[in-house]
Amino acid sequence: MLRYTLGRLLSGIITVWFIATATFLAMHAVPGDPLMNEKATTAEIRENLARKYGLDRPLAEQYVIYLSNMIQGDFGISFTQQNRRVNDIIKDHFPVSAALGILAITFAALGGILWGAITALYRNQLPDIIIMFLVILGISVPSFVFAALGQLLLVNLNQWFGTSILPVAGWGTFSHMLMPSLVLGLGTMALLTRLMRSSMLEVVNEDFIKTAKAKGLSPQRIFFKHQLRNAILPVVTVLGPQIAAITTGGFVVELVFAIPGLGRYFVQAVQQLDYTVIMGTTVFYGAFLVLMVILVDIIYGFIDPRVRLK
Amino acid sequence: MNGPALLEVEGLTVEFETYGGTVKAVRGVDFTVEAGEVMAIVGESGCGKSVTVQSLMGIIPMPPGKITAGSARLNGSELLGLEPRAANAFRGKEIGMIFQDPMTSLNPTMTIGDQIAETLKVHRGIPDQQAFESAIKLLEMTHIPEAKKRAKQYPFEFSGGMLQRAMIAQSLACSPSLLIADEPTTALDVTIQAQILDLLKTLQARDSMAVILITHDLAVVARTAQKVCVMYAGQIIEHGSVDDIFYQSAHPYTLGLKSAMPSNVGDRDKSLNPIPGSPPDLFSPPLGCGYAARCPHAMRICHEENPPFFQDSLSDGHAARCWLQAPNAPVVPELYQSNKIASDGA
Repeated sequence: MLRYTLGRLLSGIITVWFIATATFLAMHAVPGDPLMNEKATTAEIRENLARKYGLDRPLAEQYVIYLSNMIQGDFGISFTQQNRRVNDIIKDHFPVSAALGILAITFAALGGILWGAITALYRNQLPDIIIMFLVILGISVPSFVFAALGQLLLVNLNQWFGTSILPVAGWGTFSHMLMPSLVLGLGTMALLTRLMRSSMLEVVNEDFIKTAKAKGLSPQRIFFKHQLRNAILPVVTVLGPQIAAITTGGFVVELVFAIPGLGRYFVQAVQQLDYTVIMGTTVFYGAFLVLMVILVDIIYGFIDPRVRLK
Repeated sequence: MNGPALLEVEGLTVEFETYGGTVKAVRGVDFTVEAGEVMAIVGESGCGKSVTVQSLMGIIPMPPGKITAGSARLNGSELLGLEPRAANAFRGKEIGMIFQDPMTSLNPTMTIGDQIAETLKVHRGIPDQQAFESAIKLLEMTHIPEAKKRAKQYPFEFSGGMLQRAMIAQSLACSPSLLIADEPTTALDVTIQAQILDLLKTLQARDSMAVILITHDLAVVARTAQKVCVMYAGQIIEHGSVDDIFYQSAHPYTLGLKSAMPSNVGDRDKSLNPIPGSPPDLFSPPLGCGYAARCPHAMRICHEENPPFFQDSLSDGHAARCWLQAPNAPVVPELYQSNKIASDGA
């Protein structure tokens, strides 16, 4: 298991390096540079700035400098936000995105497993049909629509009760987190529901379920002890990338609910070609995704002995 | 025989609703199993052997499966059509079952020991620790080396033969009075087959437990069973003692099975004789005898009317569903015809 984990970590580092390199090249391939947007700059000032930031040097040199700084954990200074270090931007805003993301994935995973199990139990009956209809909605409706609908619902509820049950927007307390994370997790919940349903239906037909029946176990025991654990395996597999996708992809929801997450800075940076922030956030997100995938692989090992003991 | 048999099955009829229509998988099967007796059910693939026993256990998928008629009584109490709770009172406790493919018949994410202990916990209410100890003893009973260590392992760490031993240990956990073995050796290689059969036989004799052994391997039957039912197209077409079936085969299908069986005595160069054709379509079972289309001795009546059982006048419990056993049937030299011997001997 230790060897397995170390192997996974090593390949993860290579992946992150690859992401960094690809982003670096892609970013520089985009026409323009961060200084283009500066107001009222003469060619001379721009040249001076370029020299100061090292943008006048050959690309290969910039790459080597950047990489060596990155290895030391320094993502540099933002081009567009005055005197703000990229490390600080990530440190200040990622925890917000992470808290939102973790709550969202918790909703998604619990909901997905629960609804998936229910649809499989009531296959082709009314509960199944209703839930699967909602699942199609959840997968096809984009999150900003849900975000707006969620806010509308909260506004109406608050009005109805004459008091603020849940805040409509903003950040700060746990109650601020509930609606945005639910909205953020809906798509993933729908996806996991479908996955869980098909996985459950597959496991029902396995021989060992027949054995369990022949052993005289109660339907509840068969469901929990034999069916569920085996059916959860494929769901856990996709959980890793989904955690990363939710945590990093929540910027639309963050925008609608006025949440000071990292997503906003990421998008802003791309628009303004703020090289260091783009690089910093992308590499950070990349590393986070890789880490989550590895983490899930390790968790998978605990659920499935076949992975752990090989 | 005194008193009722351990298991009495009467007129068992099982159908499956499919998109293509209704499959009549089992068409009126009767048999009895006495306590402590090994009864084999033989027949080729798709003749309804497995469906018959799985209906007794209530583990055929319903729907599409449906038991449309019949009764099965274990020690006098009805097994068919029970609520899950009532069925679970005998499943795994009074009747143990082992399956064809041990590789897929055990839960891959649960240790072998836990799976065996589970049966004890559920039926006997034995606490976890004690049940696990018993599981180790059961594994030792089925000759699994290092049972203590093995009990903590998962199915993927076992070989096929070892898994089947573990399955046997699991099915015998509650000392059932009847064990159903559904092709227990089909998925195993030949040397392991013999070991598993010997183990089954030893344990059966030790506990004087009744066994229903399902197989398509006549060599296995000859080795283990006392009584044999030959099934074809969802019906039992001949039943009798193992000697009756092998030495006085009264149904042409039984003869066909025998000549299709390899043998290591006699002429080594003798080629096997497969039965030509294939079993009838059970979507619309034939009017007459199911075997008539493949039978070399078929007469007109065989195609028109399904024969009843004709009893062997000499041997108790031996009977065949074949018109050739009727009193006025023609003589077929290779077939044992009780009516002819009786009349010739007179």
